[in-house]
Amino acid sequence: MAEGEATQERKKRKTATEAASRISSMVKAAIGGTVKAKQEGKKLAYTFICCSYDEIIRAMDIVPVWTENYAGICAVKRDVNRFLERAESLGFSRSLCTYALCGLGFDHMREELGEMPPNPPWGGQARPDVMLSSGQILCDPRNKWYQAAQQFMPDVPIYNVGLPWPLYEDDIELAEVTDYYIKYIIRELRGLVGFLEEQMGRKMDYDRLSELVALSERTWDLMWETYELRRAVPTPMDTGDAMNTMVPEAFMMGTQEAYDFYLDLNKELKEKIARKEGVVENEKYRLLWGGGLPSWFALTDFNYFNSKGAVFPVETTYRLIEPMVRLGIPDTNDPIERLAWRWFKYWTYWYDKARKRPGSEPDVERLIQYIEDYQIDGIVMHEAFSCRTWHLGLIWQLNQLKKIYRPIPILHLGRKMARETPSLILESDIVDMSSYSEPETRSKIDAFIETLESVKSHQTA
Amino acid sequence: MAEETQKGLSEVERLYRDYGVRTRELKNQGERIIAYFCAFVPLEIIAAAGFVPLRIRGDVNEPITKGDVELETIACPYVRSSFDVALKGRYGFCDGLILPHSCDSIARTYSVWRYVLGFPYSHFVNLPHTANSSSMEFFKEEIKMFKKSLERFAKKEISDGDLARYITLYNENRKKVKALYELRKQDPPLISGSEMTKILVAGLSLPVQEANDLFDQLLEEIKKREATKKKLPRVMIVGSTVDNHDFISLVEESGASVVVDSLCIGTREFWPETQLTADPLDGIVDRYLGRINCPRTYIERKKGDTYQDDLERRFGDIGMFVRDYNVDGVVLYMYKYCDPFGFEIPARKAYVDSLNVPVLYLEDEYLSGTTGRLRTRIQAFLEMIE
Ligand code: SF4
Ligand code: SF4
Repeated sequence: MAEGEATQERKKRKTATEAASRISSMVKAAIGGTVKAKQEGKKLAYTFICCSYDEIIRAMDIVPVWTENYAGICAVKRDVNRFLERAESLGFSRSLCTYALCGLGFDHMREELGEMPPNPPWGGQARPDVMLSSGQILCDPRNKWYQAAQQFMPDVPIYNVGLPWPLYEDDIELAEVTDYYIKYIIRELRGLVGFLEEQMGRKMDYDRLSELVALSERTWDLMWETYELRRAVPTPMDTGDAMNTMVPEAFMMGTQEAYDFYLDLNKELKEKIARKEGVVENEKYRLLWGGGLPSWFALTDFNYFNSKGAVFPVETTYRLIEPMVRLGIPDTNDPIERLAWRWFKYWTYWYDKARKRPGSEPDVERLIQYIEDYQIDGIVMHEAFSCRTWHLGLIWQLNQLKKIYRPIPILHLGRKMARETPSLILESDIVDMSSYSEPETRSKIDAFIETLESVKSHQTA
Repeated sequence: MAEETQKGLSEVERLYRDYGVRTRELKNQGERIIAYFCAFVPLEIIAAAGFVPLRIRGDVNEPITKGDVELETIACPYVRSSFDVALKGRYGFCDGLILPHSCDSIARTYSVWRYVLGFPYSHFVNLPHTANSSSMEFFKEEIKMFKKSLERFAKKEISDGDLARYITLYNENRKKVKALYELRKQDPPLISGSEMTKILVAGLSLPVQEANDLFDQLLEEIKKREATKKKLPRVMIVGSTVDNHDFISLVEESGASVVVDSLCIGTREFWPETQLTADPLDGIVDRYLGRINCPRTYIERKKGDTYQDDLERRFGDIGMFVRDYNVDGVVLYMYKYCDPFGFEIPARKAYVDSLNVPVLYLEDEYLSGTTGRLRTRIQAFLEMIE
């Protein structure tokens, strides 16, 4: 029951940066804001992160309700079971994406009661006016979740935006497919604008959209530059904090607040670097969070790593940006076209690099780049059972990394040693706590730290 | 005499038991074989390029012992099993591999398949999730790219004439399957559900012309059969991919006749035909994106439609089969970790309820050991509808 679970809620996780510590109140305000907006008669849209339509929603003055975010919040508050159980009682398998299950369970309760379920985390998830699905190559739940929700919200219309990108192929150059991908994405985004105009009964203000797109682009650049500061030794911020500082990027793109947040973070990191202030006092191991969404109910595991002198200067999760200039977007003043190009170029950013290394792949190439740029000693990945999107292919990436990544061998005490990159795969879930055991996780971490230690001592011996 | 009347069926048994045996023979004779996954790879194009397509299957009787080293256990168990047997070499003789964008379990594992199995050729057909006009236009370009890629590998151009020829052959194949299904309409049916699965699986392991000949022979043989079995509850199975007879046999052994399905391998892929259009690719685009009714393809709710209209648009085929095949009960059968179907279970249940037909929902793991555990629930369901 909610009460019981709520008392299990952890003490606030210790963050390394002041900026990260502000995030939870920002999210709380944003979620509270959606409930208030509903009461004020504003229009709300259920939305997914990483769907290239943030600026469109905002330019139309629609309030986004990030359903994945709300499920994550329920997990942080350790108040998910009643929603998961409700979803299960409706016939949804517990093996499906638990964000979706949590959201569907919550929505069903809210619709049945005609009001928010009792004591909803942070005021609850407000009823939407439209739902924006996303038919990507990325995630089946984004294609199906809202359609399932329509069973108990049959009056709420859905628009499903097709947003593909090409998979990496040996025999096909990107240039051969770019045109038709771009054309399709543009048409789909224009279709979305048309749908929203019709639903809202007002026209898109394209000048405003252009401004917001430009603002997001500046935010991408600033965030990238800021995250690159984490290359410093000792690193001033690690993945534990990044699981907070992703919030403006994921949920607030196209707002001045997001830009200002990274401005503050940038300043804070530079000051820390100048003071040589790291996440931990004695930084011993630099790790790459090489994939997987975190267990939102167990973010203190990052502090546990820190307590062992291990830090994560970089992660692939939620770092869904590259600097605009490197993306090489063709000149266009049409904001929809810019959005389409940004989407396509981002997802194919590592393709050219991969082509240069036999046996490589964009995802593996990205790992290699981070290992080198951030002086990485080891990789940690998390395997969340319920999300295939971000968690299939990770084992293979590690296997492939071992196969193809051979930095110059070092002659060491008469032995030729290729640098081994130790890795750890944690297994549990994003939301479903029943899959998690703290003692087990921590003893895995301990064993991993020992491995790192022995590799280090070989290197220095 | 008995032997004569069983010739087709014993060939089915041979092809089913030693899956891929005919393609291996053909390979030894110099043919080139392309392994592919799921119902969304346009077979007409593979055949027109001069290859023999072979559907990748898993094996419910083979425990996963190797696949987990390379592939996460959170992929759907059907994909995991297929990958495991592939890794054990079952498709090692094939010249290429084609995966379509059906779902995350397939799309997100493309690299794993491609690199770990090391086929000389591989390709991913990027089917969009929606089927509106811009998606159709996109998919046409994607299909052209697929054709180009296959032509490069085949070192031969695929002519419109060849495409048209194979479109016709595959449509004939689909028509013959429908004719076989017709024999299940009578009560008791002339073909059991488990036989039908074996027949379809066997057919998918043959060049289309050979499959057509086999189906002709089967039609003749089976029409001559006398229905001797006693009448049993008539059950329809609705789910994703069932490419082994074990589950269907379990339902039948529990005291039912499985008379129709909405499955791959089953009506989902054999009912829609490819229209022979001026540009043959148009018909292919229309069939694969517009006509295969799988939850991975999002069916848009039309303006003005009520929710019930929407259910009818999405699941109307279930209703049609329930009526045409006089179905007494529906089993919704899904695999763990299958998001596309999983999210539809409550809506599908509601739809079947609206038909006033009893429905049983079962979640399984694509492993005969776990399937056996479903027996009691199936029996209880059958008792209820009897
Ligand atoms: S499957 Fe993964 S990416 Fe998709 S909605 Fe769920 S958590 Fe997000
Ligand atoms: S059973 Fe479901 S998850 Fe598995 S391949 Fe089919 S659609 Fe994908």
